[in-house]
Amino acid sequence: MAMTLTSELPADAPIVGPEVTLTTLSEEVSSRVLMSRTPLWWWIGFGISVALLLVLVVQMAVLFIVGIGVWGVNIPVAWGLAIAEYVWWIALASGGTIVSALFFLTRSPWRSATNRIAESMLLSAAPCAGLMPIMHLGRPGLFYWLFPYSNVMGVWPQVRSPLWWDFICLLCYILMSIMYYYAGILPDLATVRDLASTRAKKIFYGILALGWRGSVAEWQNQRIVYAIMSAIMAPMVISVHSVVGLDFAAGLTPGWHDTQFPPYFFFGAVISGTALIVMLTILVRWGYSLQDLLTEYHFNAMAKVMLVGSLMLAYAYVWEAFGPLYTSDVAERTEFFHRAFGFTAPLFWSEKILTVVVPQLLWFPAVRRNQLLLLLISGGVIIGMWQERVVFTTASLEHNYMPSYWGYYFPTLWDWATLAGTIGLFLTLFFLFLRFAPIISLAEVREIIEEEKSK
Amino acid sequence: MTKLFGVAAEFASPDAVRTAAEDLRQSGFRAFEAYTPYPVEGLDRIIHPGPKPLLPLLMFAAAVLGAAWGYWIQYWGEALNYPINVGGRPYNSWPAFMVGTFEFMLLVTIAAGFVGMLAASGLPRLYHPIFEAKAFERASRDRFVLCLEAADPLFDATAVRSRFERLGAERIDEVRA
Repeated sequence: MAMTLTSELPADAPIVGPEVTLTTLSEEVSSRVLMSRTPLWWWIGFGISVALLLVLVVQMAVLFIVGIGVWGVNIPVAWGLAIAEYVWWIALASGGTIVSALFFLTRSPWRSATNRIAESMLLSAAPCAGLMPIMHLGRPGLFYWLFPYSNVMGVWPQVRSPLWWDFICLLCYILMSIMYYYAGILPDLATVRDLASTRAKKIFYGILALGWRGSVAEWQNQRIVYAIMSAIMAPMVISVHSVVGLDFAAGLTPGWHDTQFPPYFFFGAVISGTALIVMLTILVRWGYSLQDLLTEYHFNAMAKVMLVGSLMLAYAYVWEAFGPLYTSDVAERTEFFHRAFGFTAPLFWSEKILTVVVPQLLWFPAVRRNQLLLLLISGGVIIGMWQERVVFTTASLEHNYMPSYWGYYFPTLWDWATLAGTIGLFLTLFFLFLRFAPIISLAEVREIIEEEKSK
Repeated sequence: MTKLFGVAAEFASPDAVRTAAEDLRQSGFRAFEAYTPYPVEGLDRIIHPGPKPLLPLLMFAAAVLGAAWGYWIQYWGEALNYPINVGGRPYNSWPAFMVGTFEFMLLVTIAAGFVGMLAASGLPRLYHPIFEAKAFERASRDRFVLCLEAADPLFDATAVRSRFERLGAERIDEVRA
């Protein structure tokens, strides 16, 4: 063990490669946006993503024509894969905000090169989350009735319902994330504009950059607003995911009616969101050969965040078991035994292994250094979190208070099509971000380079 | 003859541009601006030493207004316009309104900050004379540009040029207005 412990990265390990300078940084990253020939891997990835997106289109058409009976949801299990995946996607999106906002506030230097990937991921995942409840509405065309606008019907949404809180949280979250993203990317768009060689690209990025000049006054305003925005986004993301937890906690169903749900959900967001960022960062780094910008330092830091997430989640799991075992509530206990040893047991135990046991490997520096292992561990965490969301959504409904009311949930082909389709939507959006926006935060990495130089 | 907007000089390092800006400030110049690829430490105190923009205050005011708006929307819908009695709960059930109030507050704050940031910087402004300067080309990448504007009462193109040369500028341009 001693060997692995001493091979820990030194505290002053380089954050970016020593050969990266201000000049090469801007040209490297901008050339990924401005290149005239898109690399083959991008076309292959984008093609697969669009194919999956078409699955979503077909699935939604069938769903809207036939009704949500095409899914496996029925009474007693009226919430199935779609709602579980809603929670799953919003957790993945939240991870982007956590890395971007929370670690901006703590001035973590590793955050600068990864935050754009995290934010692109967030903006790609949030629409997937938003689609789920809308698809789940019996009459999806009327979803706008949830907006608090003064309509001629004189009917208002029931704002005392946690489901409305959820809607308003997600809506505000997406809008705020777009503004947060844009405030951060504005200076980088100006760099791309100044490097563009063709007229069309100059005009396109010129308009997007809004005429940013990088004057002292502009930087002053941007920095102060961006800092306050980060300070707002951090509690915001905690509130969004906590309110998703409240949807369940406010229900009286055994297994859901638990005060730990808001933090429990947030812990899940920390680990699964970071896991997705690790995966995407490894792939982007490999695809765009950004080895100098995304170094061991970044993966080391992100793996540690993932490890902390898994420990927090382990705490939530212990409580998830302790509550039902300690309580005198028979239904609560029966439901837990069903969850852990009944129909959902395989999912339940494999999820614990994937999200808590396997990530313990990250204690070893050698594992944190190994990209392939990181990729596998984070992939496992994402799958494990999906299982976790499915288990708590369906297991509780399967074993409600009355034994006469018990039942089982089996996903249908269309349930799986929903999952595949939203993955397609996510990947399509992410590939577009990858191709058309600078994927590394230039302005912030420049500061890191200058700091490294003076070190 | 077209009027001059100013004289722009390109510097290679953040220290050089800081020294140059300090020199201009001490020689009594007022209308000058620096264009840098990232916020250079200390430059803002030299170039804009006056009071800082009131953006944090604006965002705070927006937060208060947003919270009031969010609460009012819910109160009006639930207690005034369309009261529904659900299990005898109060119409104005403020604990249930807190989430909506909170989210509206944050949304309005971020929106105010975003719009305020653009407005305070005079954006969007797709054209600016400084874009014509040769020296500006690399200001968004790896060079630091200082531009003394013709609006300054002490402005004199030739004197400024020699001053920039003395300060170690790598390239000096006259920027047409």
